[in-house]
Amino acid sequence: MTLSFTVNGAAYKLDEGRAEERLIDFLHEDLNLTGTKFCCGIGVCRACTVQVSKPPNPTPSPVISCSTTLGMVDGSAISTIESVATDGVPDAVQQAFLDNFSFQCGYCTPGFVMAARMLLAGLRAQPIPEEQIDAAMMQAIGSHICRCTGYARYFEALRPLAVAANAGEGN
Amino acid sequence: MFSCLFSGGAVVSQSHLGGAQITRRMFLRSTGAAVAVSVMGVPGLATTANSGPAAIGATASAMPGVASQRIDGLAKVTGQKVYARDFNARDMPGWPQGQWYAMYMRALTTGSAFEGVDLSLLPATAQPTRVVLGNELNEVLRAPKLQFNRDLHLQERIAQLRAKGGNSQNDNSFDLPPDMSYDLIVVPGNVPDYLGQAVALLMFDSLAAFRSAKSAMQFNDAAFQVYETTDQDSPAMGSAFSPQTTYVKYNDEFSYASADPETYMDQVGDYQSKIRRSLGREPDLIRQPFQADMRAMDPMFMEPEAGLVWIEQGTGTMNIVLGTQSPDGDISNILSMYDSPDAPEHLQAVNLTSCYPGGGFGGRDSSPFSLMLALAGAYSDGNPVRLAYDRFEQFRVGLKRHGARLSGELVAGVDMKLEAVQMNLTFDGGGERNLSPYVASLGALCAGGSYKVPKASIFAEALHTQNITGGSQRGFGGPQAFFAVETALDDLAAAQGWDPVELRAANLISLGDTTVVGGPIEQPLRLDEMLEIASNHPLWAEREAIRQDYGSRGMTYGTGIAMSLQAYGTSGDGMVASVRLEPDGTLTVQSDAVDMGNGSATTLGVTIGPILGSNAARVDMGCYTLFGQTGLTTDDPGGERWEKPNWTAKSVGSSSACLTGLHQVHTVQQTANALFEGSILAAAAQIWGVAGVSASEVVWRDGALGRITVEGNQLSLKTLAEEIHASGLPTGALGHAYFQNTWAQAQYQTPGGSLLLKLDGLSFYHAGGGDPVQIERQETRGPDKHSTRYARYVWAPCINVVGLTVDTKTGAVQVENVLSVLNAGHIHVPQLVSGQSQGGVAMAISYALLEDMPPGMDGPADGMWNLNRYHIARAQDVPLRNVYTPGLRGQELITLPQPEGSEPAGRGIAEAVMCSIPPAISNALRDATGKRFSSLPITPTKIMEGLGQ
Ligand code: FES
Ligand code: FES
Repeated sequence: MTLSFTVNGAAYKLDEGRAEERLIDFLHEDLNLTGTKFCCGIGVCRACTVQVSKPPNPTPSPVISCSTTLGMVDGSAISTIESVATDGVPDAVQQAFLDNFSFQCGYCTPGFVMAARMLLAGLRAQPIPEEQIDAAMMQAIGSHICRCTGYARYFEALRPLAVAANAGEGN
Repeated sequence: MFSCLFSGGAVVSQSHLGGAQITRRMFLRSTGAAVAVSVMGVPGLATTANSGPAAIGATASAMPGVASQRIDGLAKVTGQKVYARDFNARDMPGWPQGQWYAMYMRALTTGSAFEGVDLSLLPATAQPTRVVLGNELNEVLRAPKLQFNRDLHLQERIAQLRAKGGNSQNDNSFDLPPDMSYDLIVVPGNVPDYLGQAVALLMFDSLAAFRSAKSAMQFNDAAFQVYETTDQDSPAMGSAFSPQTTYVKYNDEFSYASADPETYMDQVGDYQSKIRRSLGREPDLIRQPFQADMRAMDPMFMEPEAGLVWIEQGTGTMNIVLGTQSPDGDISNILSMYDSPDAPEHLQAVNLTSCYPGGGFGGRDSSPFSLMLALAGAYSDGNPVRLAYDRFEQFRVGLKRHGARLSGELVAGVDMKLEAVQMNLTFDGGGERNLSPYVASLGALCAGGSYKVPKASIFAEALHTQNITGGSQRGFGGPQAFFAVETALDDLAAAQGWDPVELRAANLISLGDTTVVGGPIEQPLRLDEMLEIASNHPLWAEREAIRQDYGSRGMTYGTGIAMSLQAYGTSGDGMVASVRLEPDGTLTVQSDAVDMGNGSATTLGVTIGPILGSNAARVDMGCYTLFGQTGLTTDDPGGERWEKPNWTAKSVGSSSACLTGLHQVHTVQQTANALFEGSILAAAAQIWGVAGVSASEVVWRDGALGRITVEGNQLSLKTLAEEIHASGLPTGALGHAYFQNTWAQAQYQTPGGSLLLKLDGLSFYHAGGGDPVQIERQETRGPDKHSTRYARYVWAPCINVVGLTVDTKTGAVQVENVLSVLNAGHIHVPQLVSGQSQGGVAMAISYALLEDMPPGMDGPADGMWNLNRYHIARAQDVPLRNVYTPGLRGQELITLPQPEGSEPAGRGIAEAVMCSIPPAISNALRDATGKRFSSLPITPTKIMEGLGQ
């Protein structure tokens, strides 16, 4: 038996004996993808959030890679922060965070970017009444910890994107 | 083309291509040997950063002086390797691939002697390659003489004590640090000095073994350590770290600043009696006793400390990768570790790759982590070593904000005028001395609050305890002291039926007054205007109506106000910067400052814009070794001070966010001025064919220099650069500045004429590379020695109003609204200032209400603490809207507009907002419940106890 999954489009097949290893360690050690950040290691801060889609469910969901084993992502497509910008050009979420000076040290930022992208994708797929957008943003990024910023500029940056995505704009 | 540390900007210099390269060298003497210290570029950035949207405004792509985004933003938001934790040996050009892993075992008691380790329970696959115990280290390596040259006036005090032999009655702790350092690794047979002190270093030659050892040992330390069964006391427990701080002020007659330093301490007792007698003679005086205490606090920067070290055997070169706020101090302490004839390695060179710290807040200032990493480097058989704390370890050993106890008394007249403040501040310094006495000392200065107080008697000390070491933290003693003063003031007002704003207004300190230290206030503070703005704001002015509104919804609401007068900088600060015009017309700024996220790289990059017509295309931070190129020295055996042509009072210090706004910006701008007037104007005159042109005759328009009165012939930076590089004019300037109440200044002869600059050192770079050439300084004027005793000179006042609700059934508190009125001086990058303020608000709410860390083995010293037990503010805990809107949660920041024509000098504000929120919260709770909560954090349990439920 092997474990198989993709990371940023590249396929990996691993010995089943590695099923108990943490996803974040695989990203850091095996793939040298260190954009996904390690902070608490116990599933609280969400700095290590990556995007995981697992058929048949088409909607990607945020996964905390410090508390997820390789066994749990068998058969999944995983995306990390390294896959978000195209040829060095930031995506809409990244650009909004840049324009709004949303982050400071930036260590929490990849987690916020990934969670925010999945929120937008979800809103596009399944719009909600506009008055619920604040609650949806809180649901998506409200439990992420950031020590530097006080969160305000993350929410400010995300809100227009969320409104637009909810209206079916963007991609 | 040179470039240091990290070039986070749009364009990355050539030197980064192909990886890290040596950029600057400084030779330090260590046991007679010279050691070359170099700052290296972070590898890899060159391939990924590009001249795309990350530009902050280089080459006229944005307004000079304006930042469109953080210069380090693109690298961070796209997940590039910029933090020390991101790197392994394989990422470092020229390093061997084999990497070892270091792990420290940590002391579990200070009540019995450590005997050794027993690893027999570890499976074979988890056995370390090497175990190092304290007795294997030579004395210098085990207990290096650490230098923390933080505050000039305290250093002078220590020197004075040394000279006296330490016998002064008030300084009986003098035989403690700085001359005493605790062992980095406990020697078997000794009682550990503090919890979490290393008892063994385990080295693993494979990640797999390291991981299995870690999982076997985590949360189970006791099974692997052996202690004597009999109890034994750890030596010196409870002693004060030297120096303690005593500030006694008696009207205009006596103070720390005005008294003769030689006899000050001998007179203190008499003046304390005088204060008592004079207050005793006035029976009408009102006395308001107070006490407050607060837990230690973890800085909880998001990146747990991590780094790499590799000592090349044979060459004696230590390569080290770190994310530190204090590269200079860390490296010199590392050098002293290895400074002995029988050191395991004889260091000839240190190459420092100093990465972007993943948060700092002071917790990476003089952190012991750097030493522990450097130590591991000697025991890896020449292989690179990675030391990376996980969050449990970071909680266990990372520097903390001190737990503290404060008590004292405010004395006021019936006219509301404060007559005296008496305060005792005891800081739990924890295991190592670190910066604790300096923190206590600044706490003592803050004991006077924002007020004019004629008489003061303040004593502050930091004690050595078994707890986790305390160090520099945002606010540096201020949060504790302001909490005590501002809650006491409200209690005084409440007891007398006074309005809390009127009481404050009656006592505001202003220009010409003196602090409790006796130092004059020589910078306009504008506290009166600020108090007026705060008290007229609806959050305060309409507080009764707001309370009723919440009340009508069944909620208990209260409003609190508090002020702080946080100093920024230290009692003497040195900074170094270079500004260069590249052949292609782009600009590079280098600074000794480190950007912990506070945005100093961005600020320094745009601050040259108005002077040089364009923002920097590259900003390199952490280039502290630039000081070695200035030709300056701090040695002054003859006591000549500024008479000595190459002398300065301080080289460079640790990076604090509070140094950016004024100190670092000044240094970069003056250096940019030197380049502009000393070279660019000369080049322009050559091109225009005129004898000379002065700064007042020219203007930058769209990135090109033109004459105000002459049409046409605008010169782009590229044209000017070509002329400069071709004609031998200076291509760049290297400046050093020193601030101690005033700037040191001197006259310099340049190709553009004689310049008066507020710099005490200037050199010019020339085309073709090579070291910069020092310009002789003339007519030097520098601050005199005495004003270091003012302790601080510049201030960032802040007033906070907090409106909160408290659930009297559960004790849960929600901060509904925060108003911050801040005098930030000139604001260089508004988004960064508001971001710093918002971060300060969140951290302060967290400190006041959430962050609870018991001392001893009930707390993180047991190795079992993480974010599931130590709660820090999340988005729900913080008002997110950025304007006050009645009925909704928000935080509004009002910064004072600067008067027309005033000098565009910023103030360091990172710490200011942090200081007055906790007392405003306690004051709001008092307003809501009628009870004073003076023990931080104010948890629901404490609230329910206070409410008698
Ligand atoms: S690192 Fe904190 S949740 Fe994964
Ligand atoms: S920006 Fe530093 S933790 Fe969020």
